[in-house]
Amino acid sequence: MIHNYLFLSIILFCLGIVGVISRRNVFTVFMSIELMLNAANLAFIAFSRVHQNMDGHVLAMMVMAVAAAEAALALAVVILLHKHKSKLDTNVFSLLKG
Amino acid sequence: MFEHVLSVIIFLPILAGLLLLVTPASRTIARVSGLIISLATLVLSLDLYANFSATGHLEFVEYIPWIQSLGVSYHLGIDGISLFILMAGSVLLPMVYLVFTTKEKGYYANLLIVQGAMAGAVCAADMILFYVFWEVMLLPVFFMLGLYGGPKRLPATLKITLYTIAGSLLMLAAIVYLGVSYHAQFNEWNFAISKMAQLNLTGRVAAVAFFGFMIAFAIKIPLFPFHTWLPDAYTEAPTATTFVLSAIMAKIGVYGVIRFVVPVFDEQFARFAILLAYSGVIGMMYCGLAAIAQKDFKRMLAFSSASHMGIIALGVFCMNMQALTGTIYQIVAHATSTGVLFLFAGILEDRTNTRTIDDLGGIAAKAPVFALFFAIAMLASVGLPGTSGFIGEFMIILGAIKFNTVIGVLAGTSLIIGVCYMLWMFQRVFFEKSNANSENFKDLSLVEGLTFLPVIILIIVMGIYPQPFLSKITPSVALQFSQNPPVIAQTVTTNALLPELTIEQK
Amino acid sequence: MGQSVNYLGLIPLFPLLGSVLIGLIHVFAGKKFRISEKFYGILACVGPVLSFILALKTFVALKALAPESRFLCHKAFTWFSVGELHIDMGFLADPLSCLMLLFVTFIGSLIHIYSIGYMGGDKNYGKFFSYMNLFLGAMLVLVLGDSPVVMFVGWEGVGLCSYLLISFYSEDRSNVLAGNKAFIVNRIGDLGFVLGMAFLFWGIGASGFDFLSLKAHSGNLTPAIALTVCLLLFVGATGKSAQIPLYVWLPDAMAGPTPVSALIHAATMVTAGVYMVARFSFIYANVELAGNIIAWVGILTALLAAIFGMFQDDIKKVLAYSTVSQLGYMFAGVGVAAYSAGIFHVFTHAFFKALLFLGAGSVIYALHHQQNIWKMGGLKSKMPKTYFTMVIGALALSGCPPFSGFFSKDEILYSALATGHYGIWMVGVLVAGMTAYYTFRMIFVVFHGTPRDQHAFDHAKESPAVMTVPLIILAVGALFAGFLNLPAIFGGSQMVTHWLAPSLTEHHPHASLFIEIIAIGASVAAFVIGIKIAYTKFGQGAPAPEFKGFAEFAYHKFYVDELYHAIIVQPYKAIGSIIWKTLEPNVTDSPVKAASKLYMAIGTAFKVFQVGYVRIYAIYMIVGLSLMSLFLSQSLN
Repeated sequence: MIHNYLFLSIILFCLGIVGVISRRNVFTVFMSIELMLNAANLAFIAFSRVHQNMDGHVLAMMVMAVAAAEAALALAVVILLHKHKSKLDTNVFSLLKG
Repeated sequence: MFEHVLSVIIFLPILAGLLLLVTPASRTIARVSGLIISLATLVLSLDLYANFSATGHLEFVEYIPWIQSLGVSYHLGIDGISLFILMAGSVLLPMVYLVFTTKEKGYYANLLIVQGAMAGAVCAADMILFYVFWEVMLLPVFFMLGLYGGPKRLPATLKITLYTIAGSLLMLAAIVYLGVSYHAQFNEWNFAISKMAQLNLTGRVAAVAFFGFMIAFAIKIPLFPFHTWLPDAYTEAPTATTFVLSAIMAKIGVYGVIRFVVPVFDEQFARFAILLAYSGVIGMMYCGLAAIAQKDFKRMLAFSSASHMGIIALGVFCMNMQALTGTIYQIVAHATSTGVLFLFAGILEDRTNTRTIDDLGGIAAKAPVFALFFAIAMLASVGLPGTSGFIGEFMIILGAIKFNTVIGVLAGTSLIIGVCYMLWMFQRVFFEKSNANSENFKDLSLVEGLTFLPVIILIIVMGIYPQPFLSKITPSVALQFSQNPPVIAQTVTTNALLPELTIEQK
Repeated sequence: MGQSVNYLGLIPLFPLLGSVLIGLIHVFAGKKFRISEKFYGILACVGPVLSFILALKTFVALKALAPESRFLCHKAFTWFSVGELHIDMGFLADPLSCLMLLFVTFIGSLIHIYSIGYMGGDKNYGKFFSYMNLFLGAMLVLVLGDSPVVMFVGWEGVGLCSYLLISFYSEDRSNVLAGNKAFIVNRIGDLGFVLGMAFLFWGIGASGFDFLSLKAHSGNLTPAIALTVCLLLFVGATGKSAQIPLYVWLPDAMAGPTPVSALIHAATMVTAGVYMVARFSFIYANVELAGNIIAWVGILTALLAAIFGMFQDDIKKVLAYSTVSQLGYMFAGVGVAAYSAGIFHVFTHAFFKALLFLGAGSVIYALHHQQNIWKMGGLKSKMPKTYFTMVIGALALSGCPPFSGFFSKDEILYSALATGHYGIWMVGVLVAGMTAYYTFRMIFVVFHGTPRDQHAFDHAKESPAVMTVPLIILAVGALFAGFLNLPAIFGGSQMVTHWLAPSLTEHHPHASLFIEIIAIGASVAAFVIGIKIAYTKFGQGAPAPEFKGFAEFAYHKFYVDELYHAIIVQPYKAIGSIIWKTLEPNVTDSPVKAASKLYMAIGTAFKVFQVGYVRIYAIYMIVGLSLMSLFLSQSLN
């Protein structure tokens, strides 16, 4: 039973990874990150169900709260980035290039 | 005399320096408070000196456990060897605030911190404590050099940083090795310097640890071939930093050798002493010869200082009482003479806006008092009898002859080498005809004159009547040798090259 | 141990205090208050004169003692004491130092008085007298020091004053260079002195490093160390007393004011080396090889300097080379273990050479600082006092009986002959003839014949009394000082030799009357021949000569200065600049440079990973996390 949930979680997580790596639009990257977080949440809930306790739920709620906070910050950052270069392509922002 | 006088001498300047850094004090406030603090330290040190009873052992001891599980303690104390380095710092540093009046706030703050840390390094009787003060002492130098130095300050800062960090890490490793060895041999943790002398260190690891310590101190002294940071740093640093580096900090390197290397690594030291002695002598000649080729008087003084440090370090490596006492005496003599010369160089630079020897001339006629003071300091630096420079140099050469004839003769050449470049410089700067740069050279002002006067008098007094100073040094030196009889026994045999001139111990 | 008297320490102290006082007044008040020259002059003479009075007192006190116990000492304080090294700031007056003391303070005082006139009008009048007093104080420390180390204080002190006074006219570069040369060459000698002291100390110094203790223990020295000590100390003497190979500084030292040349570079300081060898006679007397080396170096220096002296055209240079030459005689004397003869020549030489220099100074003063003898001539009538006193000095220098130089020089040559050093004797006689020649060449050219520069001649006049009176006093000394040590053959009793006997370790050679007569006859013949040649060539006035062949070679002093410059000075500077320009940046500094290059290389290598794109960093993160997870899961199993 649990395997199906975990497979789904893995598939979602991998989709998120592929999104972060391959897409260049900041919003898409951001959505991919959210996808990965939700994949993790799904795994938490599944394990909570298997072990018959509430720990997984607590962590999932925690992740959602953090994700919300992160979304708020991330959107603010995105707005600033847009103001700075008028573009939302991540390849434009490569100041750390050695 | 109150109980924690050493702690006050150490922490008063450090705290004042930190306070200056965090408050938005003006330059004048920074200078005046620096002056007051350093004068207060001077008064305390003089009191300390007067009450020092020259037993040979540590006096004014303070002992507070610090990290008990590792046997690290806050342990302070001074004996005849450390007393004079402490005094040199306390006596000389107030001059800086009186002579250089228009510097940044941070400059004075760093000076205060370095003063306290140097006092701490000299007074520390615990290895870890010593290491902490050693590192604290180096930090302000980086800042002063990097922030307030000359146009080529950044490469100089990089060089001195690379060197000293490498040295410090080697020393830390060696300290840890000593602590571990102590634990292995006596089954307790302890980092007190006095306990380390009981260690029985043999084998290759001990030799590596010995070189760890030795290289750290050799960099600071600086001993040939670890001296290459010195000309750049001394030349680019602001005068007060050069003064601190040459007059006191270099001496703490020598002090480290006397205090850590000689008693703890007695076997290794006796084995490698001849090598180190050659390093000292070659460094003296090498830097002395390089000095003659300099066109910049500050750089010339830098090489001259390195050259003298070679001789001073040699006194430690000769392992006899005359040479070691000579070294300690010469430490003070060199701090006063070369330190003052660097300050004079700073004044010359401030007033003429040049550091090139050939650009100057005829200053003796324009500024007789300045020339007189400069000449006295210069003569002390070349070791003329009647000035402080002679006593120490004579004893070191005497000891070197006993240790090894070749080294003794080579050490003697410092008499000639020193005088060549000094006279050449004096001739170009002070004699001959004045030119556009020196035409309007102002003599020392009353404040400046009175600032230097005590040190100039000290130079002469130390040359004519040195016995009161020496009587405070000799008990500690004698104790150093009574603890290590095997070291002395081995020295007599180093004269393999000229056996017929070997002087037997009577 | 001798009697302790307190006033010994005062003898050097008076001039030293005078120096400090005059120096302070000159530096701090000289410009503001216009101190008069008279004030400086009187102040400057107080110290030397007081010292002279005390020297007389010392002499009287010594005279009152029995000859064997003629020692007066004074330990002022413990100078420094470390382990077995114990050195007192102590002073010792014995017959040897007392003799030196007397003539140093006497001639010193006279030259101070003379300088009041000679230096008149100089803007650094106060500075001059401060240095002169400092010199005298240092010289007295040298003479009175009771241990080699205290002696060394004076030794270096006089060297310093010599430097300061040579470069006194410091605006002129060549003067300062001459001063530098003197100081550096002296320092080379001082290195020998210091090393000699060190060997001596480790040999026998542990039981007391003062002369009396050293003398008592001198038997314990091993021959190798004794020879080393003797030769090293002699290196010191060659520096101070201008012997081969370190004589080059003395002729250049004539750049200083003439009273300086008279006091320092003729009468007192340069004889310190002879004094030192005599002081250490208890060691030198036992090392014959060292004595032979000293004697030969001395007599060869005498020969070389005499050759140079014959071709000089500067009046002071002639005298300078004659000083070097006479110093060579003195070393020949102490080298053949005739210490009292050497010291006696020091004594007489001080009078007649100071006289000649002061006389030359008087001429130079009259001719407004003209020093070239080929611009002078016929001054006999204009400056009679100077002329007569200088002739007396010249006769004494040339060794004309019965002037003082004759007796002292003859004593040395006789000792060389009597001890079997025939080579030294023959060279010595040759040099005596040359001395007579070049001395009277100078006298004839300067004072006889017709004026070569009419304008200067017309303005020349006799110097003031403050300058001529010292000349006359010195002339009396140059005339009669020889009689103090009249040898038995002339019915004398060798007073000086007997007076010095308790201080010196010497064995007087006993030779037949025949040898004595040969020695005297040869000296007198050499003198007569020398003066005859000089008279035929220059007696009636002669034009400035052209030098060709050997003469030109000698005129350029065998190019020794150039040689030293090429083989010592240039390589020294070259090594300095090689170190600074090549070795330092490329060799000793290379580890640091290599370290920073290494960091740069590693940094460049890792730079490729820093692409700057967030996506790529994400890949690194995922790869890293995956590897870590893999590793963890592997290790858990």
